[in-house]
Amino acid sequence: MIEMIAQYEFMQRALIAGVVIGVIAPVVGVFLVVRRLSLIADALAHVTLSGVAAGLLLQKHVPFFQGVNPLYTGMGFSLTASIFVEHLRRLYRSYQELAIPVILAGGIGLGVVLISAADGFNVDVAGYLFGSILAVGASEIRWIVTVGVLVLMIVILFYKELFALSFDEESAVFSGIPRRWINLLFSVAVAMVITASIRVVGILLVSGLVTLPVAASLQIAGSFRQALIYSVLFAQVAVLSGLAAAFYLDWASGGTIVLVSVFLLLTVMGCKRIGRVWRKRLAHRAQIS
Amino acid sequence: MAESVLTLKDVHFSYGDQTVLQGVNLSLRRGEFLGLVGPNGSGKSTLIQLALGSMVSDAGEITLFDQPLRRFRDWSKIGYVSQKVNSFNRGFPATVSEVVASGLYGKLGLFRRMKKNDWNKVDETLERVGLSDLSRRNIGRLSGGQQQRAFIARALVHDPELLILDEPTVGVDTRSVEEFYTLLTHLHREKGLSLLLVTHDIGAVTTYVDRIACLNKKIHFHGDPDEFTRKRRKILSVAYGHEVQVLKHDHEPVPLA
Ligand SMILES: Nc1ncnc2c1ncn2[C@@H]1O[C@H](COP(=O)(O)OP(=O)(O)OP(=O)(O)O)[C@@H](O)[C@H]1O
Ligand SMILES: [Mg+2]
Repeated sequence: MIEMIAQYEFMQRALIAGVVIGVIAPVVGVFLVVRRLSLIADALAHVTLSGVAAGLLLQKHVPFFQGVNPLYTGMGFSLTASIFVEHLRRLYRSYQELAIPVILAGGIGLGVVLISAADGFNVDVAGYLFGSILAVGASEIRWIVTVGVLVLMIVILFYKELFALSFDEESAVFSGIPRRWINLLFSVAVAMVITASIRVVGILLVSGLVTLPVAASLQIAGSFRQALIYSVLFAQVAVLSGLAAAFYLDWASGGTIVLVSVFLLLTVMGCKRIGRVWRKRLAHRAQIS
Repeated sequence: MAESVLTLKDVHFSYGDQTVLQGVNLSLRRGEFLGLVGPNGSGKSTLIQLALGSMVSDAGEITLFDQPLRRFRDWSKIGYVSQKVNSFNRGFPATVSEVVASGLYGKLGLFRRMKKNDWNKVDETLERVGLSDLSRRNIGRLSGGQQQRAFIARALVHDPELLILDEPTVGVDTRSVEEFYTLLTHLHREKGLSLLLVTHDIGAVTTYVDRIACLNKKIHFHGDPDEFTRKRRKILSVAYGHEVQVLKHDHEPVPLA
């Protein structure tokens, strides 16, 4: 594969996109999961679908939009939705997860209506639904890298604040951390990650890439730092496997990435269980002798 | 130097049409250890929320460090452990150190990272509350009492001048409660920390605090523990209602709530 990467530009683009997404998706995912908001990824992905549909519709009817990648309108939609989620979360303090079905249903509804209104598109909608890492275009790669840098900057610069807010919002606010501001910035980061990941894993599977590596990492992480590091490692393994499978076997990259993530999760759970049994046995033996 | 750390003057507050505080007067002087007691639903936590500015009173005046609450900005002078602190997500992947360090984040401010001496501060504080050995342990894997000490450490790590604790000894065994009071008395005496402690443990609190306030919508008593002990029957029967239980068990901690 290494020769292929050196030889073909599309392989280089796929590799860069995969590595970038494999860093930012799980990093943002850790914060979402510990806040019990992992399904937001799914909801925003569906909103992005309606944004993409709107973009395709505009492409058809408005000359200005002909050269505009529908993923940009998708991102616009998911940014708006993400800020709206933050607002709903404030409104329903005790039912913060309520924001998710509201946005999810709204997103799918709008997407379906837009697609049917457009009477079917000449572009393959399936490409957005399932993603294909090998089809990342030259302009898209610049955009994915920009998103990657921005998201990483947000997380690194506001790591302290994001941690404190995720662990205990009340105390964080009391100690003077600007909750609204930081949460808004984080919402923007989430929306950007979702849209950028769609090329690689597809709308239907984005939440898998955002949450599965985190789920595996939470099994073994003792500290928050470890949770971040492990989830990035797992995501990298998954994304690179997806890339290899897409290249050699012509499998759907998104599906492979998510399947590998599930496999990693199961392996971690299995290893943990075996480790526990062994430790118990050793302790038992030590007691006897 | 400020004489008064916290004062409430004729403070009123209601949730909708339910009056919770009705003309409350309270003061906490610098270096004082004040115990706040009162039955469930008497408005103790509400009073603290108002004092910390997370809710706004309907009427009355509140000052922190001799400044009107509206203009008070120096939140790093205050450490606070909420009554709900133990309802955090048990599966949260954070070590005790990481949680305690987050107590410094507000004071550090945006864009400033934790430095070596900040981490030293965290270790020192953990040592003070007796959690040094558990600093790398996952926070969800501590016992209830240990978790409470971790949260007290988080509230202390930025060296506050006033520490507010809302029922920190609920669900903590007797020995740990004793250790906890020893820790508080130590902080209070050696560091001159002003303390506001909300508790149901009337028996214990009278032995440790400088002054006691008894709240139920209004302040029914505000004075020193000796006087409180002398008038205890009367105060409690007024503040807690006519509960026979309170009147009978005079020499043990009152089994309320
Ligand atoms: N968020 C809220 N909305 C409406 N009413 C509330 C709310 N929080 C508290 N109350 C009411 O205000 C009253 C005072 O509550 P508060 O929590 O201040 O009592 P407390 O003295 O701290 O009680 P406890 O000893 O049980 O902690 C209670 O009667 C309660 O029903
Ligand atoms: Mg209370």
